[in-house]
Amino acid sequence: MSKFTLTNGKTIVKPFNKIWIIVACVALLLYLFSRFIPFDPTFIKLDQLKVILEKMFTPKGNRTWNDYFMYIPKSLMRPLQETINMSFAGTIIGSLIAVPLAVLSAKNIVKTKFIYIPARFLMNLFRTIPAMILALIAVFFVGTGILSGIIAITLFTFGIMSKMLYEVIETIDMNPVEALESTGATKVESLRYAVMPQVLPMFVSYLIYIFEINVRASTILGYVGAGGIGTVIKDNILYNYDRVGASVLLMLVVILFVQMLSSFIRSKLQ
Amino acid sequence: MIKFVDVSKTYPNGVKALRGVNLEVKDGEFVGIIGLSGAGKSTLLRSINKMISITSGKLYIDDIEISSIRGKELRMLRRSIGMIFQSFNLVKRMSVYNNVLTGRVAYHPTFKTVFGLFPKEDKLMALESLDTMGILEKAFTRADQLSGGQQQRVALARALTQKPKLILADEPVASLDPITTVQVMDDFARINRDFGITVIANMHHVDLALKYATRIIGIKDGEVVFDGKSKEITDEKLVQIYGRSLRHDEVLGE
Amino acid sequence: MRAAELALKRKPKRWVINLVFVGATVAAMVYSFAGSTINWTRVRTIGISLRVMMEGFADLQWDFFFGTGIFRFEEGVIYLTLVTLAVAFIGTFMGAVLAIPFGFLASHNIVGKRVARIGEAILVIIRVFPEIVLALILLKGFGMNALTGVMTIGIHSIGMLGKLFAEAIDNMDKSPLEALDAVGANAWQKIRYGIIPQVAADVSSITLYRLDINVRSATVLGIIGAGGLGASLILAADSWSWNILGTILLAIVIMVLTVDAISSYLRGKLV
Repeated sequence: MSKFTLTNGKTIVKPFNKIWIIVACVALLLYLFSRFIPFDPTFIKLDQLKVILEKMFTPKGNRTWNDYFMYIPKSLMRPLQETINMSFAGTIIGSLIAVPLAVLSAKNIVKTKFIYIPARFLMNLFRTIPAMILALIAVFFVGTGILSGIIAITLFTFGIMSKMLYEVIETIDMNPVEALESTGATKVESLRYAVMPQVLPMFVSYLIYIFEINVRASTILGYVGAGGIGTVIKDNILYNYDRVGASVLLMLVVILFVQMLSSFIRSKLQ
Repeated sequence: MIKFVDVSKTYPNGVKALRGVNLEVKDGEFVGIIGLSGAGKSTLLRSINKMISITSGKLYIDDIEISSIRGKELRMLRRSIGMIFQSFNLVKRMSVYNNVLTGRVAYHPTFKTVFGLFPKEDKLMALESLDTMGILEKAFTRADQLSGGQQQRVALARALTQKPKLILADEPVASLDPITTVQVMDDFARINRDFGITVIANMHHVDLALKYATRIIGIKDGEVVFDGKSKEITDEKLVQIYGRSLRHDEVLGE
Repeated sequence: MRAAELALKRKPKRWVINLVFVGATVAAMVYSFAGSTINWTRVRTIGISLRVMMEGFADLQWDFFFGTGIFRFEEGVIYLTLVTLAVAFIGTFMGAVLAIPFGFLASHNIVGKRVARIGEAILVIIRVFPEIVLALILLKGFGMNALTGVMTIGIHSIGMLGKLFAEAIDNMDKSPLEALDAVGANAWQKIRYGIIPQVAADVSSITLYRLDINVRSATVLGIIGAGGLGASLILAADSWSWNILGTILLAIVIMVLTVDAISSYLRGKLV
């Protein structure tokens, strides 16, 4: 805060800028949180990063470059297929079961607090838990393999999709719903003919977007036993870095491809 | 003093915006530039502070030929010339005071201005300019809270804070309503009179240009077709500049 | 009536296309499951698993939660949650700071189309590089601790933040930059007075949103040893100690919901 006096005697006070409170808060949080992070320069071995990158992206020992790259079609196609399969199945099932919950969470469709508040709570609960932890739990129930991957992706999709979908439903034009209800349509009929046509394009667009997210997430779920490429990475992380490197390269290509395909299809849908 | 010697401007797409313009503007004049849209008014105005570079000819400002200057020298030139835009060009999320203070950035080293370290006299200069424009009490509100007329006054205060010899105004009132238009034009007249600052303004409304400017320059297809006192403008001269009689929207009417 | 019948015939047969789509999707779904090796014994015993889980959840370990009793505070869930939050917060901050130059580099308005394409390509690569793999690499350089988590989140966040920052810069009002040119400002001064004030709110909002995501990531990164809750989580999961797992899950849910709520409150204030 400071006061200015102009030559003609007028005065004006510059108010305190609130930005400094924010800066102070962020600085304080950074300081407090930094106490939880061990920082000892003697333990940092940046040269090791170069070593591991070299190990990942060059053939190991007496393997040739041919071995390095042929590993992809020979041993990674099956895990890749698992990864894609579980993303696909999980995305579809998760999205479908998200529909009823999204409808129940929408304030403009369900007018009773007693329904939409618990529905939203359920939705948020699934959204909080990372896919990896869902997979970990699923492995407990159905054992290692792709089924636990599907379950994890399903629940994960369910969380995101119900949230995105209910936000769309809440912003639709309510006039057609009113018009249908005035013709004596039931709730279900008005959902089918007044709500669904408005929501469907967004639903399909989200479906593709979530599939993209899921491919990215599912590549790694195998790390906790849910099948796919992640399993290969976990199995080789101790001794065969070149196998890990080859898997990573494949993952990069697949994810990039799915991402491009997804944004292409979504741009066509608009 | 500003002097155009045979100035031409051809855009990369082949459009010839200025063709062999010769002009001299003396210190303290209030010049209104009129003409059809696309006639080259804006190009003429913007070539003076080199927001647009001319393709041939010579342009002198106080006997310095500006077509070859660049970098720091160019910035030094620009800091001595205020510029007003049709859409005010303020940072809307920043306070009025900070917007006005940006008129001083070219006077100080980068590292000081980046940390907001302006000398006390600069801060006072900014506030004095706002006071001159009658909006001192708005100094510490965000620019987007102000009306259009007030925002254009902030822009004028920013220009004044540069301590310029010259203010260029590119359609300064085109986005304002008729009443604010008159107020803002009065401000221009006052600045011209009280501070002796040369004003060169592009004007869409011919009657406003005739009322406020002491000298009119009429442009048609990149050429100066009229240059004289506002009193000398006649209907025939206007037809010559516009190639037709004036349309309804080209006069403000009072 | 005839006109109406004709019109009805002309109505496009959308159901054929729809049927093909649905059919193809169902076939792909069946195929997805067909290849999977399902452990039927495990599936059949889901009921038992569920009971075990519920029993565990009913027996949450409060000493472990608070780090009291036989547990040191540094072993408790609260402490580990704070570590996880620290990893997410410092990592996000680091990512945001590093993403700013990348945002400029990928902005068509600032550096031009050609350079922006290169900037965008770098950001895409950072974005698609799986976080856990990045963590596995960084682990070798920074050790099995929270520092690795911070570095992973810091680097990985650049990908999305840089892209969104570039969009914010490209969408802002360019006219103040023209005015700054006219007062004789140089490039740094234009950034400071023309760009930063305009994008600061958006950039903060994007960063807060990323913090939401990173809190979840920080939990997962612990699984491979990058600090925080994850390590205890995977230990408990390996031995299926649901009482411990439940305690940790409770902390995760509370932590994520709290950060979500704070972040969306602050984002609402920023508009």
